[in-house]
Amino acid sequence: MAGLDGAAIQSVVATGYGRNRVPFAATTITEITCHARGVHHLDPAARSIVEIGGQDSKAIRLDEHGRVRDFAMNDRCAAGTGRFLEMLASRLALDWSGLDELSQRSQRPAVMSNTCVVFAETEIIGLLAEGVAAADIAAGVQHSVATRVVAMAGRALDPPVVFTGGVALQPGMVRALEGVLGCPVRVPADPQFTGALGAAILAGGMA
Amino acid sequence: MRETPRQICLEEWDQRQATLARQGGGEPSYGGPLGRHVEREGNGRLRQLRFDNSTAALRLWNFLLTENQRLRAARAQGERLVGAMKDLGTVPVMAYALPRVRAFYPDGAWWTPCLMECTDRLLNQAEALGADATTCPVRAMLAAFQNGEHFPRPDLLVCSAGAICDDFSAIAQRLERLGSAVLWWEMPRRREPETGEASCALPGGLRAPADQVECVRDELRRVAIALGRLVATELTAERLRDGIQSANAVRRELQALRETVYAAAGAPLPALEMLIAEMLAVHFCSDRDESRVVLGGLVQEATRRVAARQSVVDETGIRVYWVNPVADLRAMNLLETCGGQLCGSDFMFTHALDLIPEDLPPLEALARTALADPMVGPVQDRARRIVQECRRYRVEAVVVSRIPGASHCAWEGAYLREHLAAELGVPAVEIEVPPVCDALLPALRTRLQAVLEIAQSRRRA
Ligand code: SF4
Repeated sequence: MAGLDGAAIQSVVATGYGRNRVPFAATTITEITCHARGVHHLDPAARSIVEIGGQDSKAIRLDEHGRVRDFAMNDRCAAGTGRFLEMLASRLALDWSGLDELSQRSQRPAVMSNTCVVFAETEIIGLLAEGVAAADIAAGVQHSVATRVVAMAGRALDPPVVFTGGVALQPGMVRALEGVLGCPVRVPADPQFTGALGAAILAGGMA
Repeated sequence: MRETPRQICLEEWDQRQATLARQGGGEPSYGGPLGRHVEREGNGRLRQLRFDNSTAALRLWNFLLTENQRLRAARAQGERLVGAMKDLGTVPVMAYALPRVRAFYPDGAWWTPCLMECTDRLLNQAEALGADATTCPVRAMLAAFQNGEHFPRPDLLVCSAGAICDDFSAIAQRLERLGSAVLWWEMPRRREPETGEASCALPGGLRAPADQVECVRDELRRVAIALGRLVATELTAERLRDGIQSANAVRRELQALRETVYAAAGAPLPALEMLIAEMLAVHFCSDRDESRVVLGGLVQEATRRVAARQSVVDETGIRVYWVNPVADLRAMNLLETCGGQLCGSDFMFTHALDLIPEDLPPLEALARTALADPMVGPVQDRARRIVQECRRYRVEAVVVSRIPGASHCAWEGAYLREHLAAELGVPAVEIEVPPVCDALLPALRTRLQAVLEIAQSRRRA
């Protein structure tokens, strides 16, 4: 993917949930530390990271040197993750990116009272039956994810806030997060690779 | 045969035990391969654990895992059995002061499903008996009483009520409803003495109003009378004084163990064995004198390893303080896997850590000990004690463990995590460990490893 041949690689750091299954890695580092390193490299002013991936979501607070001060993590339930978006998109007969495109046409995002994916599915059926526009439901789903992640973060996230992870590729999610946080959020180029970038930088420091 | 400290699996232990036995390494009567506890009692979860490789640790595990046999043997020999529940460091001390009486913790049954292969068997049975998953896993006790497969039914069941755990009270009340009579005694919530109010010093540097101490003392007197009736022998002050001295001898061993391990540069013993060792001082594993011997063996091993600069993890491991016990013992192994070393703990057994005053009338001394327990006072007192220990052992990270369903964890955990992080300036993480954490292991590992990485980066800064 990066166009490197094996000989050019001096050190390997494995990160993410499968990090302990990479036999050739020199060491493993959690995605929390890796995202922090990657974000600090791209945006040294960043003080908070919201990372929403397919499996889980995290809120990470950074100090002025880009070191992790504190983190909160949702790894127990699909709410507040990319999976939540995916499952609810399929309820609207859309794929993941279709949900985002649709949400851009929303006039009045629907209020979703349930953050549990099972109940949210039922709620969507109810909203459709009441004639609520699908675009408003799509925006409501994104808002629900943003609300859940910000609630998980607990205390207010210090700005500047950087949004990473695959879900940050959805402009509608960026808007939803900005709305809930009440401040702009920054999205780096290729937000889904920020953790990998951090791992590479940390590996570079070990080589 | 001395080996360098390491954590080994059950299979490796059994091979090692066989070699030791061939070489004539003396083991106590309850000794033998750990694997037999899987075969005979179905404690299949032992296969998932990694154990310290010292003979002192082997003895500890065998002692722990033979408690039910010990109780059955005692019953067969006509000894009287007392079930002590939420006794706050008092009832076993009183019971062992009498001849032919053994006290044990039926609520220790909450560990049973954590060790058994069919983990949810007891928990599901408990649910059918009226205690569902919204309560602490201690509910396993209900099923263990009902099926009689684990410990024998006690001749007397004693439980405190009042300012102790709500979950426990609910479960013990259900137990009584199911036909096990309980001798209840009242425990007031500890409060700060008001200005000018007569007060007493408690272990751990606390104070309580004299009225509260008097109330608990009178309650314990009722318990002492009931215990005496059980064996038609009066529990005199003299007997009780001796009992306190013997209990303190066990507590001193535990204190020495904690000091040796937690103050060391590396980890002379792993976190898992430290958790089990602390449990011995709470209820003596149904044999007070042997508890002392087992703990003494661990102290010797830890001292030897410290002198030889041997550790189960790299000496540069992050120094971690652990709050609350875990429902799945497997989670304790994660600490060393992630590169941490246990350097302090509050496993909620604090009432068995401090020495019982020996210069006071014995019931008064026990009353003061009970009132000093963190469970009966404000969480701020518990936090203060933890902060002191963290400073003393140069702790670099804190893990606050939550037991699902245990109601106190829900409100205490967040406070402790935030307060300890702010007060000590170290990273702190909250984890929730259910009775079987296999599926959550990667997530738990990420949380633990992340908090150790934060501590590591602060160390480098
Ligand atoms: S809720 Fe806590 S104190 Fe109560 S029984 Fe369970 S572990 Fe013990």
